[in-house]
Amino acid sequence: MTDLKAPTSDSGLAERAATAPAAAGLSLAGLARAAPLARIPPHLRSRGAALTMLLLAALFPILHPNDADIDAAANALTYASLALGLNIVVGMAGLLDLGYAAFFAIGAYAYGIAASWQVTPLWTGYWEPLQWLGLVARFHQAGGDVVHFQVSFWLMMPVAAIVAAFFGVLFGAPTLRLKGDYLAIVTLGFGEIVPIVVRNTPSLTNGAMGLNGVAAPQLFGWSFGIAATPYYYVGLLLVALLMVTSQRLKISRIGRAWMAIREDEIAAAAMGINRVRMKLLAFATGAAFAGATGTLFVAKLQTATPEMFMFPVSVMILVMVVFGGVGSVWGVVIGAMILQLLQSWLLQDLSGWLNALGRLIHSGWLSRIQLASSIELIFGLILVFMMLYRRDGLIPATRRQRALSLGEQHAQVGSGGIAALKGLGALDDSRDGPLLEIDNLTVRFGGLVALRSVSLAVRAHSVLAVIGPNGSGKSTLFNAVTGLVSTASGQVRFAGADITGRPPHVVLDRGIARTFQNLRLFPNLTVLENVLIGMHARLHTGAAGALLRLPRTRREEEAARERALEILSVFGNRLLPRVDHLVSSLSYANRRRVEIARALASQPKLLLLDEPTAGMNPAETLELAGQIKDLHRLGLTIVLIEHKLDVVTSLAERVIVLDHGERIAEGTPAEVRRDEEVIRAYLGRSAAVA
Amino acid sequence: MTIDPVLLQQIINGLSLGAMYSLLALGFTLVYGILELINFAHFNVFMVGSFVGMWALELFGLSGQSITLSGFTLVGVLLFAFAATMLVSGVLGVAIERLALRPLRNVSGPAAMITTIGVSYILFNVILLTVGAGSLNFPNPLPRMRWVVGGAVLELRSVLIWGVSLVLMLGLHLFVSHTRLGKAMRATAQDAEAARMMGVDVDRVVVTAFFLGSALAGAAALIFGLYYNFTSFLIGYTAGLRAFTAAVLGGIGSVTGAMLGGIIIGLVESLGGHFFEVRWADVIIFSILILVLVFAPSGLLGRATPSRS
Repeated sequence: MTDLKAPTSDSGLAERAATAPAAAGLSLAGLARAAPLARIPPHLRSRGAALTMLLLAALFPILHPNDADIDAAANALTYASLALGLNIVVGMAGLLDLGYAAFFAIGAYAYGIAASWQVTPLWTGYWEPLQWLGLVARFHQAGGDVVHFQVSFWLMMPVAAIVAAFFGVLFGAPTLRLKGDYLAIVTLGFGEIVPIVVRNTPSLTNGAMGLNGVAAPQLFGWSFGIAATPYYYVGLLLVALLMVTSQRLKISRIGRAWMAIREDEIAAAAMGINRVRMKLLAFATGAAFAGATGTLFVAKLQTATPEMFMFPVSVMILVMVVFGGVGSVWGVVIGAMILQLLQSWLLQDLSGWLNALGRLIHSGWLSRIQLASSIELIFGLILVFMMLYRRDGLIPATRRQRALSLGEQHAQVGSGGIAALKGLGALDDSRDGPLLEIDNLTVRFGGLVALRSVSLAVRAHSVLAVIGPNGSGKSTLFNAVTGLVSTASGQVRFAGADITGRPPHVVLDRGIARTFQNLRLFPNLTVLENVLIGMHARLHTGAAGALLRLPRTRREEEAARERALEILSVFGNRLLPRVDHLVSSLSYANRRRVEIARALASQPKLLLLDEPTAGMNPAETLELAGQIKDLHRLGLTIVLIEHKLDVVTSLAERVIVLDHGERIAEGTPAEVRRDEEVIRAYLGRSAAVA
Repeated sequence: MTIDPVLLQQIINGLSLGAMYSLLALGFTLVYGILELINFAHFNVFMVGSFVGMWALELFGLSGQSITLSGFTLVGVLLFAFAATMLVSGVLGVAIERLALRPLRNVSGPAAMITTIGVSYILFNVILLTVGAGSLNFPNPLPRMRWVVGGAVLELRSVLIWGVSLVLMLGLHLFVSHTRLGKAMRATAQDAEAARMMGVDVDRVVVTAFFLGSALAGAAALIFGLYYNFTSFLIGYTAGLRAFTAAVLGGIGSVTGAMLGGIIIGLVESLGGHFFEVRWADVIIFSILILVLVFAPSGLLGRATPSRS
């Protein structure tokens, strides 16, 4: 408020940022003058663009009635929906799946078996209810009547999605503990096993010969047959549906949880995300997309062989995702379309032209060249070059924000207004006794005892500082309380309940939030998204809610955004102008602030701060200490690890000193300063004697 | 006690396959030990190696199985073929590292692994487009010597495979444990940062790992050709995945583990066909891969858990 040098155009920044979620759309006014299109709000603009694309795609078979080309486009749409599914698993949740085609196979064979003559058990009375429902027919045959499955395509599409999702959970469950490369290998193993099992169980699948005579879909008694156009429209609707699904999930609580796991699993768990459930949900969702697509694929081809679902298909879908932009919904669709159409249109045409040229110049080699067979070579080159030169893909999932101008950076640096923050530190005050009690806690890492029988108690609404030399077990104490390391013995009680050994997300849910000494933010997400992830445990939207986006969900999301901005305003103007910036672009001090804001977002009863002022200059340290004091004044209970003794003295009512994993002193800051044990631990024996 | 001759025959076959898988698994384990990277390009370095070996033998006018050599001519031709194949494969491995992987050395996430998949695809398709899709007859100059042991047939080629593999693995072991560069490799595998600060040229170590791994893949490829008498653009994937399973089973990053894992996978493949139906052998091998990764990710002789965070 005292900064008079702030340019006038920026003086209202804090208010505007606090009221409008699109805080970084500062240049919008400038753009509006330049282009009339920009006067339309961004969300309407993108919706308009999407509808235009859909309309153009819908008109394509009418404007260009060439069956071969429509067929190629329908195939491309199939692969686009597969790419969308893999994008959920790889792009959003960051789980590298190299056997994705297995789910495609499961969906395809589910419909293939349910709508063909492959499996024909003998007719018994038990089938009658199904016959009445029209799912099976009784077929008269010499040697006894048999059952003919004729489940409708429209019913089978969701059923196949559910079946594939079930297998997604089944294959996903054992891989949950694995990370990165190893996960990729296990999924590759499953991807290999499924086609082999298909090939080796001919009674169900007709083996390597392939399933034949799969019924074409019917609509009001009219069969799709073999013309490409109806399949094209079903594919288009499927892609549109899956795009909306992906986009809605992405901007929901679920999508944010997936991206948090992708960015940093440990931090995601510490912020209240149930990793097991969220990863399985990602696997199941991705598999469901593939299952539904498999139905369409097999209905269009009316046959299925194990070779259609081998490793190269999984790689091809991965290439599409990587090419289009990992995590980007529009990117993967466009990537898949380009690659498929490249294969079926461009390379064919190019080969034709080269052959003509070859005949013209009497070059036998040129007149025979077939570029379409080199598509896999092109895939390989795309993978390598995209990884080397454009890892974000054609359409990156995150758009970089421009950096703030000098004026914007220096506008109104103040401690912000935190007169009140709803729900902060609210406790059941009828309960007596300390908020956090630790009894004889011992933590071992192999032979090393990191904590030895440490006991302490934290009163409600107090500030406790934990100090001690490096390696004395301070961070291990936090890790043990929040469930990130397992304890050898002892007990941790929070608000009267035993929380020893509970997983991190449960600890957060109970009301303990923390920051990390070495910062564990989600670097490729924005400041706002980071804070919203902190609210994960306090929001309720599930996958279904995210898809339907009912008014209740919208209200919850809007309230969450408002609250996030309110929390960010704790740090005055430090973070508010940067809400839409990626965390990786922030300064170190600002990252520390984001981490505290993220912890506050979970409405903690107890906040654990691990060296909150590390790496900050004296002015920033003072500012942050003031803000922590404000939080305490609002009723929040705080435990902080800190090396700067002036910060400890100004904030903490009591101090606990750890050395070599043991508690060596406790008292007020002044008492602890005089304690000989403490002096010895910090400065050595001779200093204590002197 | 007498062993069923058919079973004994399967054990002999399994040991031969196992020796080949061991050599191939070493390439995975050397690179993983140092870069924590699963190198999918290794699959098709092996495949390219088999073509190099075939061309090296054809330089001597050998083709098919009709011409056999003996005595010093045979030894000389084989020595040349192994040396040429290993050298070319090794250089190919180094080129892949230098061109495609070094720029990604410090990029986190799966980018480097995706790149190796891309490189693998490129090698695969370059061979497919230049040589063609048919499988080619691999020259075999070995005389048809065979001995009957306990009812089973022991052929010269099996003995040769065992001998070559033993020599190469012993050589690798001596190199890693007794040379200065070998010590640098072990140091880098434990902590690349610390090794760099102690003056280890990490780039050189990485290049060495790629060269040695790929050269061993070349040797395995020549063995494949001499054993099966054919090669094709397709052989990299199956053999590579089995060898990778071997490396994981033995404990990826562990040199002795890779050798042990290779032998076990070779035996599983031949005995799996003996006790079950051959068509399920792959399911058994992939199930081993999954079960090991899920329940004992450090394998038989591995030291570290693979989950990095």
